[in-house]
Amino acid sequence: MLIIQTKSLFLFHLYISQLWLLFFNTMNPSNGNGSMSTASSSGAWDGRDQFPAGLRVLVVDDDPTCLMIFEKMLKACLYQVTKCNKAETALSVLREHKNEFDIVISDVHMPDMDGFELLKHITSEMDLPVILISADARKQVVMEGVTYGACDYLIKPVRIETLKNIWQHVVRKKARNTV
Amino acid sequence: MDLVQLQRQFVDYRTSLYHEGFLDEQFTQLQELQDENNPDFVVEVVSLFFEDSERLLNELARALEQQSIDYKRIDAHVHQLKGSSSSIGAQRVQKVCIAFRNYCEEQNVEGCLKCLQQVWHEYSLVKTKLESLFQLEQQILTAGGSIPM
Repeated sequence: MLIIQTKSLFLFHLYISQLWLLFFNTMNPSNGNGSMSTASSSGAWDGRDQFPAGLRVLVVDDDPTCLMIFEKMLKACLYQVTKCNKAETALSVLREHKNEFDIVISDVHMPDMDGFELLKHITSEMDLPVILISADARKQVVMEGVTYGACDYLIKPVRIETLKNIWQHVVRKKARNTV
Repeated sequence: MDLVQLQRQFVDYRTSLYHEGFLDEQFTQLQELQDENNPDFVVEVVSLFFEDSERLLNELARALEQQSIDYKRIDAHVHQLKGSSSSIGAQRVQKVCIAFRNYCEEQNVEGCLKCLQQVWHEYSLVKTKLESLFQLEQQILTAGGSIPM
């Protein structure tokens, strides 16, 4: 008798705390990601009327031709673009400007630090979706990227239509974090 | 040559570049990105491609001259050239890069040297053709016309 009552009490408390969490998250929609609340208020990308314009993208590629094209395409999508030609620079930028980016797009094959290493750093230190891009379409390389946590792997040449959809990864991640 | 003739010549020339496989859909993407805010975008990005490709091709030549060939390094350069050529739509250059990478994987120096020659050749061709295309464009603009889409 006593045992059953304790279990019910436990379940009751669990139920109440779930309700409270639900209530709390509904009242503070931007709080789904813990540390993001201050950033969202100052950040650029909560404006639903211009959505997904203003998406804050960091693009990394050591190839200057590709980097120039990506920047133009991303700007044509009305995103806010920051470009880097080195993974190490990109990592410093991300660390110094936490919560000022929504998504990272990175080439895989770069001298010094490559896209996989950058991806590993980002997934362990921050909660940002990372898209990998490469001219390398070999299955094992794509597999590696996806296994390490890339939310997508695009093969060069990338079309603007593909970049127009990348905001979905940001929304998906936010939705998962809120659960 | 009057403006209409110039414009016709331009369209025919551009069409031939696609038909002969020098350019592909990706080049069209670049043209579509060009607007009033960035009227020289295509010329700028293609010029960047020329500059960077020549650097890569010189590096490749140097790398293949070495006593002990670093195939990893060669592969990295070819991979980059493949990426950039595909991004601007230089289809024939991209195709040679694919064959080049296969020879790298096999560590076949003869094959690599042959591909280097081929890629220089294709690169020079597409460079000449694009320069001619841009020249035609310039002539049209100077004559007060607009570039046909």
